[in-house]
Amino acid sequence: MDRRTFLTSPAFAAAATFSSAAMAGIADAAAAAARPGPIDFRTNLPARGSFPDKWICGSPSSMDNKDPPVHVHWYNAHTAILRQNKAYSYEAPFAPLYFGNDRVLLLDEGFVQLRNDWDLRGVVDGCIDDWCRRNNRDPASLELVVAFSHLHADHFAATNQFADRPNTRYMGLTHEEMLGFWGMTNFPEQRVSLDLGGREILIWGSPGHVISEFAYYDSYTQILFTGDMFYRGRCYISFWQPWFDSMRRLIDFCDTHPVTHVMGCHVEISKDGQDYAYGMTYQPDEAPVEMTVQQLREAFAYAKTITKPGIYFTGTVFLCNQTRGTTTIDQYPYRYG
Amino acid sequence: MPDKATYSPVLSGNSMSVTGSAYPNGNPDLPYNLPGVRNTDSVVPLHRSTPVIHDYKCDGPAPGRFVMRWTYGSNVAAKNRDPRIQVVQYNEDTFVLRQNVCVHWEAPFTYLLFGNSGALLIDSGATAEARYYPLRETVDAVITRWAQARGRRKVPLTIALTSGEDVAQNQGLVQFAGRPDTVIVPRPLEVMKRFYGLGGSWPSGRGSIDLGDRVIEVIPTPGTHRDGVSFYDPYCDLLFTGDLIFPGKINIGNDKDFVASLERIKAFIADHPVKWMFGGHIEMMFVPGRYYPRFASYKPYERLLEMDPALIDELLVYARAVQGKDTMLIRPDFVLLNGVSPDQRTSDWPSDVPNIIPPRPF
Repeated sequence: MDRRTFLTSPAFAAAATFSSAAMAGIADAAAAAARPGPIDFRTNLPARGSFPDKWICGSPSSMDNKDPPVHVHWYNAHTAILRQNKAYSYEAPFAPLYFGNDRVLLLDEGFVQLRNDWDLRGVVDGCIDDWCRRNNRDPASLELVVAFSHLHADHFAATNQFADRPNTRYMGLTHEEMLGFWGMTNFPEQRVSLDLGGREILIWGSPGHVISEFAYYDSYTQILFTGDMFYRGRCYISFWQPWFDSMRRLIDFCDTHPVTHVMGCHVEISKDGQDYAYGMTYQPDEAPVEMTVQQLREAFAYAKTITKPGIYFTGTVFLCNQTRGTTTIDQYPYRYG
Repeated sequence: MPDKATYSPVLSGNSMSVTGSAYPNGNPDLPYNLPGVRNTDSVVPLHRSTPVIHDYKCDGPAPGRFVMRWTYGSNVAAKNRDPRIQVVQYNEDTFVLRQNVCVHWEAPFTYLLFGNSGALLIDSGATAEARYYPLRETVDAVITRWAQARGRRKVPLTIALTSGEDVAQNQGLVQFAGRPDTVIVPRPLEVMKRFYGLGGSWPSGRGSIDLGDRVIEVIPTPGTHRDGVSFYDPYCDLLFTGDLIFPGKINIGNDKDFVASLERIKAFIADHPVKWMFGGHIEMMFVPGRYYPRFASYKPYERLLEMDPALIDELLVYARAVQGKDTMLIRPDFVLLNGVSPDQRTSDWPSDVPNIIPPRPF
């Protein structure tokens, strides 16, 4: 039995012995008295949505940046995507926020820790309030699940902002706690499902960039969130074979499941393939964050030809095979003979 | 300074003074009246009727020092509220301007020197837009105040760059276009050579810029940039070395020129009193051999700007060591990058440098 149902009351916990379909029915029935009928996340899939034409992408002078700390984009009525401002952190990660009838899932918490520096919790609460207003719900009835794609600080820095938030669960900062959070016992192959209340998120292991990384698939929008192991920029592959196996797992998944978009955590490349070097705070001509399954397949096909460490461009992403410590793409521009 | 019986710096109880000065409360073993007093001219008497002719002659370096720390950006660059340009008076006739790290990560230093017949601005910053980096406005204001104190109507300004091609130092130039009484040292290299009178003697010759009783020497120092020059101020005994020598990651453009220029600087130092060398940037931390990465907008643990002239010996040794090799080499006060990416990293830690992990602000 999986532990990802996150039922909080003893009565619901008893329901955990039923099938997940029956369980969802009971949860819905119990809630029906207090709120409107549940939103249907299971038919007319994939749910349509759109990405913005342009994300906030920093500015020539960071101290003159007037963009909000977080760019909130509603992909559709039940899905928000957050992006951290480059003038708050050069890492500027993207973070999906998925809404279900019972709970909300936040994936990634940016690279600035303190709430007085950037109020991520306030932004997330604002999104939840908006959604609840639109759907006639009580924000207090929704549980917030704060998780992250992988165990790097630019993806969990603001987690502690949620420490005193009621009705909230968040992931621990060790490999063991991360696996335990999703109830995994057989990482990375095991695929578990998280029920947000009629909206199912599939989660499995995706090591390679780091050991502790997950892939997340939202069955409603059918977006495959690949974290830092595959994103539009420099995929720093720390461990080649685990990464290659994780890529194969993604490809196998795409062979058996419909996927609308593949989405990573960062963008570090321009529309015409120019590399934005590590640490840059202004990316005026950024490529889109979303990629196609075809781009993923091409990258995997390219990866099959790679036999040694180095930097390889697949046409979509840079595969930096075990190079992080010693090599980058830039050259000193003033070299002369 | 000698440790005399009348006063022990060790026992002063003030080793934590901002500057780490051995004599935070003054050195009682020095005379009260030192000759450098005559190099002070801005204040008394107040309203002069004729221009002050300043005395730029002095025994040893003119008095002057930094008693502060540089602005160093902030964790969240968008929230930085430091001045866009930090203006620091080194002495009455010498100013140092630093660009805010959160306006541009290169955070270059710009130097403004005054003489009896004009002023010299060395370098011009990394940002062209005046609304982000109001260099012209700031320089004009400093010159105006100085001119008032010295009873002058006009102060002709010369603007020279340690490298005309370096976008971390030439961007502010556009703000001075059309400024009256201003000479901008022309670019590119061939025109610049002629301006300094070095057409036939580059890089072995020397040029000069006369500010009026303060003649700045121009030393050709290609190596990091094809058109690199260094400036020597005989009044403060300061050497302004731009990108050639600075406490940071020195990207070598041509290793043969680099070594030759360092040899030229070494010979110059042997012939001239040099108190400190000032570079164009700081990238090192105060922990030996550690540096900030490119694009960092928060550098709370920067090394000091001042470099001891003796550092030239160490630089030369290791510049020769990397000559002809594509490599990166770490030393306590600088890092040499020859033929490799500006982001190059190395796992070779020098055995004679203490390996201290610096604090992380995060």
